[in-house]
Amino acid sequence: MGTYFFKRILYVIPITLAVSFFCFMLVHLSPGDPMDAVVSADAPREVVAMVQAAYGFDRPLPEQYGRWVVRAVQGDLGLSTANGRAVTTEVFGALVNTLRLALVASLIGFTLGCLFGTLAGYWQGSLLDRFVTGIAVGGVSIPHYWLGMMLVIVFSVELSWLPSSGAGPGSSSDWVWEWRYIRHLILPAITLSVIPMGVVTRTVRAMVAEILNHDFVEALRAKGLAEVRVFLHVVKNVAPTALAVMGLQLGYLLGGSILVETVFSWPGTGLLLNNAIFQRDLPILQGTILVLAIFFVLLNLMVDLAQARLDPRIQRN
Amino acid sequence: MSITLDSQVPVAAPVSAPVKGYWQAVFSRLRRDPVALIAGLILLIILAMAIFAPWLAPQSPYSTSMLNRLKPIGTEGFPLGTDELGRDMLSRLIYGARLSLLIGVMPVVNAFVIGSAIGIVAGFVGGRTNTVIMRIIDVFYAFPAVLLAIALAGALGAGLVNSLFSLTVVFIPPIARVAESVTTQVRNYDYIEAARASGARSLTIIRRHVLGNVLGPIFVYSTSLISVSMILASGLSFLGLGARPPMPEWGLMLNTMRDAIYVNPWVSVLPGVMIFSVSICCNMLSDGLRSAMDVK
Amino acid sequence: MVYKKIDQTLRQTQRLAVISIGMAIMAPAALSDEQVLRIAMTASDIPLTTGAPDSGFEGYRFVGYTLYDALVNWDLSSADEVSGLTPGLAESWEISEDDERVWTFHLRENVSFHDGSEWNADAAIWNLDKIYDEDSPQFDARQAGNVRGRIPAMDQYEKVDDYTIQFTTSEPDAWFPYQLTFFLFSSPSQWEALGGDWDEFARQPSGTGPFQLTRLVARERAELEPFENYWDADRVPQIDRVVLIPMPESSSRTSALLSDQVDWIESPAADAIPRMESQGMNITSNPYPHTWPYQFSMLEGSPWLDINVRKAANLAVDREGLQALLGGMMVPAEGIVTSDHPWYGEPEFETRYDPEEAARLLAESGFGVDNPVEVKVLISTSGSGQMQPLAMNEYIQQNLSEVGINLEFEVLDWESLFPNWRRGADDPSSRGAHATNITFAWLDPFSAFYRFMHSSMAPPSGFNWGYINDPEYDRLLDLAKVTFDQQEQDAILAEFHARVVDDAAWLWVAHDVGPRAMHPRVQGFVQAKNWFQDLTPVYIEE
Repeated sequence: MGTYFFKRILYVIPITLAVSFFCFMLVHLSPGDPMDAVVSADAPREVVAMVQAAYGFDRPLPEQYGRWVVRAVQGDLGLSTANGRAVTTEVFGALVNTLRLALVASLIGFTLGCLFGTLAGYWQGSLLDRFVTGIAVGGVSIPHYWLGMMLVIVFSVELSWLPSSGAGPGSSSDWVWEWRYIRHLILPAITLSVIPMGVVTRTVRAMVAEILNHDFVEALRAKGLAEVRVFLHVVKNVAPTALAVMGLQLGYLLGGSILVETVFSWPGTGLLLNNAIFQRDLPILQGTILVLAIFFVLLNLMVDLAQARLDPRIQRN
Repeated sequence: MSITLDSQVPVAAPVSAPVKGYWQAVFSRLRRDPVALIAGLILLIILAMAIFAPWLAPQSPYSTSMLNRLKPIGTEGFPLGTDELGRDMLSRLIYGARLSLLIGVMPVVNAFVIGSAIGIVAGFVGGRTNTVIMRIIDVFYAFPAVLLAIALAGALGAGLVNSLFSLTVVFIPPIARVAESVTTQVRNYDYIEAARASGARSLTIIRRHVLGNVLGPIFVYSTSLISVSMILASGLSFLGLGARPPMPEWGLMLNTMRDAIYVNPWVSVLPGVMIFSVSICCNMLSDGLRSAMDVK
Repeated sequence: MVYKKIDQTLRQTQRLAVISIGMAIMAPAALSDEQVLRIAMTASDIPLTTGAPDSGFEGYRFVGYTLYDALVNWDLSSADEVSGLTPGLAESWEISEDDERVWTFHLRENVSFHDGSEWNADAAIWNLDKIYDEDSPQFDARQAGNVRGRIPAMDQYEKVDDYTIQFTTSEPDAWFPYQLTFFLFSSPSQWEALGGDWDEFARQPSGTGPFQLTRLVARERAELEPFENYWDADRVPQIDRVVLIPMPESSSRTSALLSDQVDWIESPAADAIPRMESQGMNITSNPYPHTWPYQFSMLEGSPWLDINVRKAANLAVDREGLQALLGGMMVPAEGIVTSDHPWYGEPEFETRYDPEEAARLLAESGFGVDNPVEVKVLISTSGSGQMQPLAMNEYIQQNLSEVGINLEFEVLDWESLFPNWRRGADDPSSRGAHATNITFAWLDPFSAFYRFMHSSMAPPSGFNWGYINDPEYDRLLDLAKVTFDQQEQDAILAEFHARVVDDAAWLWVAHDVGPRAMHPRVQGFVQAKNWFQDLTPVYIEE
């Protein structure tokens, strides 16, 4: 058990290094001179000089990479070529907003998913089951940026109930959990929640159905055990997996919110990434992806460890 | 959006001879699944639409007409209305099936070929080779799929080829992982051990005994990725990283019609309906296939 | 029966519940008496606020001329007249009689910066050093990068007395005052108070403009409040607060306006305009110095070398049809400048829609629908001032194919097309194209004509992308540049421009009208015929 934890934690180090290497190489993937890729045509000379120093394009690739990593570890991901601000500040500022959105979306998705999944699992094969399964498949199949567009048409433009963009009447840094801010969060969060909703529903439904089919459940029932106890038994068995699935989904949402953030102009990492792509601001692109990927790796680690702790049988290798 | 990259795929019954009977059973079970059948039928219709587009489409998907811009659904001559340049929406949706299916399905096909090859080699050779290959694959798992696709497409620059490439890279790791785990199981079967002992060449063993057993499960797993691939590919086009105007492609059509949403909302959301239909049908068919293959 | 009734009651309750939830959601945030104007810009970030904005003219429009002044300002008070220059931080200026390169500027007195410090010649020189003297402590490469290219004539500057400074231009240049409108002055004492840090200054800038910045959140918003001590009493802002919000997606801007998250949006999508009007929004527009052309390549092998082809292209475009496509939001172009402009001149060739004549001219050169001219054009998917490039280009493609000119497009993103402009038609990045479609502003003769048409401006020096080399063009432009009498200069430019139109030197398509959509509560706005606009007279009336 202890060794597993230790190994699993150690394993993060090579993965993180490899991830950083990949992010570093993104610049060299772009066709043409890497300098052209990093610095936009009309970037001020100060920025050009800084970037040149940071990358040292005349040096051998491994050395360039080494220098970049050393700076990254110190929290210096370079300067945005579009506005000259520090990439680190930009990325972490945006990450807070994305986390806020992704957490709420996960919560909605998880709650609905568990509810739907349990209902469907309990009444497997019923009309309700079919309906819920349909919703779940729909949730994982819908192009969510399209769903977002439709929600804007209905709830912002036609009904004028909810705002269509932004993160509050002030700026996102003034965020408070008050209605005037929360109303900005509702549409994007609902849009983003359909995927975890679908995934969690499917997982929970399958597990509940499986557990209920076990002979011992029959036996418990035969023994006259109250239905409540049976239900508690089901919850105890399903919860760890459902939580693990949710943890992973949160990670996917962090990386996958780009389309939704673009539709709703939500000032998170997705919007940052989208702007960076079209301004060819590669330092931002690189930095955002690096931070998100490391976040994702750590999240996976936590999910794995938590799972191993709850159920020593499923130690992943 | 996310891919649930679980590698838990039903592995075909571990036998080499009666494969045919097994697949027959699968198909007969599939035939009794109405949901999968309907989904399959819709997909066939859309596929036929793509193939026979020149004969089916009432008009050219490129011919613009400023007089006929943004006509609503049901306009005479334009049954599904027109887009922001007065092009016939029906024709564009039909032609759009070509490119949209291509960029949605091709990455999975490519990844199926490459990923299977990588996974089978890793699984069959085993040992250190396996470790090296699978650890490299692990690195790609550190990126959520959407992020990886957008990172690559964004760094490479917009374009169809780049978006195809990016999505292929996204799907290789999960397929390779499945291929590896299935192959590792198959590798330990007695008759393969026997063939090895008798000194048969590795390639021969792979061709004769391994492929037949592993391709099925990998294929089924891959079909479950098509839906995600469709959404991702059209998403890239929606962001402006995939197809270029004036190509008819559903994701791009959604993007260029965004401003028309206030004039003609129902026409503007049609391309999304198409993406959704293909994606949900793929999922249902793939679900049907899975449960039909489930030996339990 | 009873069951049914319960059901009905339930439904009613539900409906009530839905309505009341709706009402609760609709209730806007607590309103105060403060007059706030919320503007959605097309930029994806707040432009640089240190005094030399980036993000093109939108940057100057919203954080340039609001927070700062130039020595020479634009007069934006009229919606009818073409905007001219007006004294800003300088009350007057003159050229030395002995040397046409020496300009003397008399600075305005009793002007203070937002931080209370005084505007004088020392402050002016300090600012010039921030751009031109790389060894000065206040030198800022970012600002220098944004400004230097806009003032090509600048050579030397010096303080004469506390309220007089003198410039020397590199060569005689009558257009120097136009260029100076891009040089804005920041407060030296504020910069020092902030420890000499321009990044900090960007958050707490201090200029002399009618507004002062009170809040800046990168990528999200900037808030401006009136500067009560503004030197021009006629231009003290009427509004209590202006909020600037970057919103690059035009559909996001539209829904933000329709759902009352902003009061004013820049460049609304043409298709959404009827919808906005039906909800009572006001659409303002006014032609301004902007041109949407095809710039031709004059290199060997280009089909445009044939004047018949050039004229045919100009005659084949149905500009009124295009105007309808854009919901009326353009003016047909007949030359680089609008036909009511003093520089337009009296060309013989009339840029109009006449496909028969176009076909006849092409036939003269041996072309026709069966044997079309094949042309490759660089276009962009979007971009600042590009209007609706894809729709417009497809429309032109259709027009030209009807007379026998086949267009093939190389579609680039704006970030790739723009840098190509300075690289020229023979650069590999042009991919063998024969024309490029980049729109531009023409505020002064240099930006309207010189940088495109003078042979010395061929890449990489300027934007003569297609290597136009006409000695007569060069002669007239050189002459205009040293003609300091405004009317005389205008006459020379008119002669030049008439010649350009007669040559059909480019394909002229459209002038933008700068559409904006506003909530009816926004009052007092006068849309000038300019890229820049004045926010000071705007107020809110519910």
